[in-house]
Amino acid sequence: MISLTVNGVSHQLDIEGDTPLLWVVRDILNLKGSKFGCGAGLCGACTMHLNGQPIRTCIMPVSAVAGQQITTIEGITPAQGLSPVQQAWTELNVPQCGYCQSGQIMSASALLASNPNPSDQDIDNAMSGNICRCGTYPRIRKAIHRAAELQQTAAFYEVKMPDSNSLTASTDAGEQTHG
Amino acid sequence: MVDTTLSRRSFLKASALGGGGLLMTVALPGCSTMGSKGMISDDEWQANAWLRIDTNDTITFVLDRVEMGQGTYTGLLTLLCEELEVDPARVQVEFAPVGGIYNNPLYKLQITGGSTSVASSFQRLRIAGASAREMLVNAASRVMDTPADQLRCDNGRVINAAGKGLSYGQLATLAAELAVPSSPRLKTPDEYRYIGRYNRRLDARDKVTGSVEYGIDIELPGMLYAVVSRAPAYGGTVKTADTSQARNAAGVVDVFKIEAHGRHGIAVVASSYWQARKAQQLLQIEWQTPDVAPSSDEVFAQYARDLDNESGDQVRAEGDFDQAASKASEQLHVEYRVPYLAHATLEPQNCVVKADEHGMEVWAPTQSASMARISAAKHSRYSVDDILIHTTWIGGGFGRRIMQDYVAECATIADRLQQPVKLIWSREEDTAHDWYRPASLHRLSATVNSKGQINGWQHRLAHPKVFDWFVPDAAAAQYAFMPKFMFPTLAVAGKLGEGILAPKDSSGYEGADIVPYALKHIDVRFIQSDPGIPVGYWRSVGYSHNGFVVESFIDELAHHQNADPLQYRLDLLAEHPRAVQVLKRVAQTASWGKPLPGCAQGVALMKSFNTWVAQIADVKVEQGRIQVKRICCAVDCGQPLNPDMIKAQMEGGMIFGLTAALYGNITLQDGAVQQSNFHDYALLRINEAPELLVDIIDSQEAPTGVGEPGVPPVAAAVANALFAASGQRLRSLPLTLS
Repeated sequence: MISLTVNGVSHQLDIEGDTPLLWVVRDILNLKGSKFGCGAGLCGACTMHLNGQPIRTCIMPVSAVAGQQITTIEGITPAQGLSPVQQAWTELNVPQCGYCQSGQIMSASALLASNPNPSDQDIDNAMSGNICRCGTYPRIRKAIHRAAELQQTAAFYEVKMPDSNSLTASTDAGEQTHG
Repeated sequence: MVDTTLSRRSFLKASALGGGGLLMTVALPGCSTMGSKGMISDDEWQANAWLRIDTNDTITFVLDRVEMGQGTYTGLLTLLCEELEVDPARVQVEFAPVGGIYNNPLYKLQITGGSTSVASSFQRLRIAGASAREMLVNAASRVMDTPADQLRCDNGRVINAAGKGLSYGQLATLAAELAVPSSPRLKTPDEYRYIGRYNRRLDARDKVTGSVEYGIDIELPGMLYAVVSRAPAYGGTVKTADTSQARNAAGVVDVFKIEAHGRHGIAVVASSYWQARKAQQLLQIEWQTPDVAPSSDEVFAQYARDLDNESGDQVRAEGDFDQAASKASEQLHVEYRVPYLAHATLEPQNCVVKADEHGMEVWAPTQSASMARISAAKHSRYSVDDILIHTTWIGGGFGRRIMQDYVAECATIADRLQQPVKLIWSREEDTAHDWYRPASLHRLSATVNSKGQINGWQHRLAHPKVFDWFVPDAAAAQYAFMPKFMFPTLAVAGKLGEGILAPKDSSGYEGADIVPYALKHIDVRFIQSDPGIPVGYWRSVGYSHNGFVVESFIDELAHHQNADPLQYRLDLLAEHPRAVQVLKRVAQTASWGKPLPGCAQGVALMKSFNTWVAQIADVKVEQGRIQVKRICCAVDCGQPLNPDMIKAQMEGGMIFGLTAALYGNITLQDGAVQQSNFHDYALLRINEAPELLVDIIDSQEAPTGVGEPGVPPVAAAVANALFAASGQRLRSLPLTLS
């Protein structure tokens, strides 16, 4: 039995320990937002957060992450509305086929959690592990800057107006770092 | 203008829905992958889009085009909603399954490709929307006892001057009983509310939450997982196989030999994907190499031999090149070569099939549901009529999913097991078993007259016919009502019918034949040469290589004449005002002649899919490394529908083209592909992505394609910049400085 905590929910799973986390999450927990792209940690489509850090789950044996906090794209999506990163992504029409975008958004969210105002260079460094075959890179760059702005606005409202329900994104952004 | 009376009769029908409501059935013109020339006549009745207005105000648009990232969904909806007077965001879009209620008896080929979706639908969808709108207004006129000319539509309602009225849903049942108007009034461009303005990408929201369901995400109860080991060389077979260890591995349900779509291998089916993969590693297979199994150098040697020995088909003739050559004071002779390329869709090939006593259901991220159905029928006990195809969202197509090999394999496996099965290809399998953009070899010559001016252009190229690889399923799909035993005959007939029943396969020379420059003597020849490596349609098809070759060579000629490469082109384009316009506009955007610091500039132009695109690349060479800093692009695609989506398609096309220019190279050893994953078949990453500036020409011409035309000029623009930067003329892709 392997114990796994995904998006705050604990599971006891009877699976082979060498199964990559990606397939456990997709096929056993049925969270299909994380994608399979290369199976070798080269494209980033499978990116999830392990204790807030982005990891490539297509090569991460599930036994190696037992008992730790795992967050998927479903976990960073607020019950209502969108996270600042997702909001920026839709504002700038980033997705084309969309297949890589869960992974892109997971990498970008982790970047913004540790670096609220990244430079283009910071973005290149943090995002070069995520391939987009449709070529949405220029928009991803812009969207991360836009998300940084949205996040600051959200944080501002969170401090000034703790009861505000118009910006659900702020609370969920906080949740994401804690898993 | 379209003759609306005639067209309406041939492409539009209205009917009442069972439980009340209105159904408009629309036949959009045929859509094909074979260049810009359709395989089927545009006038044949072929229902492939449906507008449904239900009494509860749900408006649904069902269409047979697939969404693989290119924005078809938003573009087509914009056209319809412009005339229907509804916010596109209010309309639900569904993909039409093939084989169900959307199967028309006169059904023909259903393909999304060739950048034709918006172009071919521009008139018809607007007329459909306008007809529905007028029927709803006429219905309201009766119910409200108000003359129709005193009513107007406002986002899903018909209202009078006081703003009172009824919703489309309330009117739909009555409207369905009214006559379809003979010539509905279409808006003039100054009245457009959405066309040219609508910039919301309707599928963006679901794509940022991970909730879009791609083919690989389909889940059925009791589903098994399959993987397949395939012969490394196309046509290779299993010589010997020891499957005993794999059979005994945990979770394994079945291990067996498989032959599907010309590929032989061994399938492993297990309870989970990972169990199937692990068991696959235990297979011990010795492969029989096929008779035709060339290595890369042999491919190019064959092309060279055929260029030496054959005159080929003349596909463009102006003046008399041979005479110009005999009188020339000087001749230039150069050779260009381009490699095979994989599509590398980020969603690997996959398919889900359920087969039982009732029939077969297929869920596939396919670019052609009708060919998927033929493929499933060919590879199973089921007849075409017993097969239903569900088209899913697609994680990148680029032409790869026009071929149906993954459907063939999964149908074979599910047919045997009679249980739901999901087949997933690994990245390594996807890279090694593609239908590649053909490699090709080009010989170009130019003649210089006695005054020292270039006056002749000859382009001879060796390349296979993609049609030959595509036609077996395509021919059968066109005659899907024929019994299955006729399929092989249809495949043969289809191949022989090229140029007779179907248009000539121009995929090898498209872009070469239309060289737009006003040189007196032009001779373009296509030498068919097929080394036996499987090939297919790859984003922008023949333009992908001819864009590089033609636009590099014209650049060589400009330098030979000591002319500015931009001005030299402009001087030869007097007959192509749209080409002149995109060139001048891109020159402005890029400040031609004033490169970015440390950079040199290169320009390229290409008309593909009836869209003109010009690009200027700013490129730097740093310690022998090529760094593309910026690409500017001007595009004339007629009336822009969704400007931001056009921009996105140009951006994506440039990144796609740049990946090919800098990295793309599939090589072969004894027929087997030597690349496997993104470490040796690299795709451009964000840190290598240049700044991209896109300028869209405002136009009221009918809209033309945008999914592919951003690709063809890129490699030449970069190569031409590299020549300016380094003095090295690179005539081979990927671009490599010596």
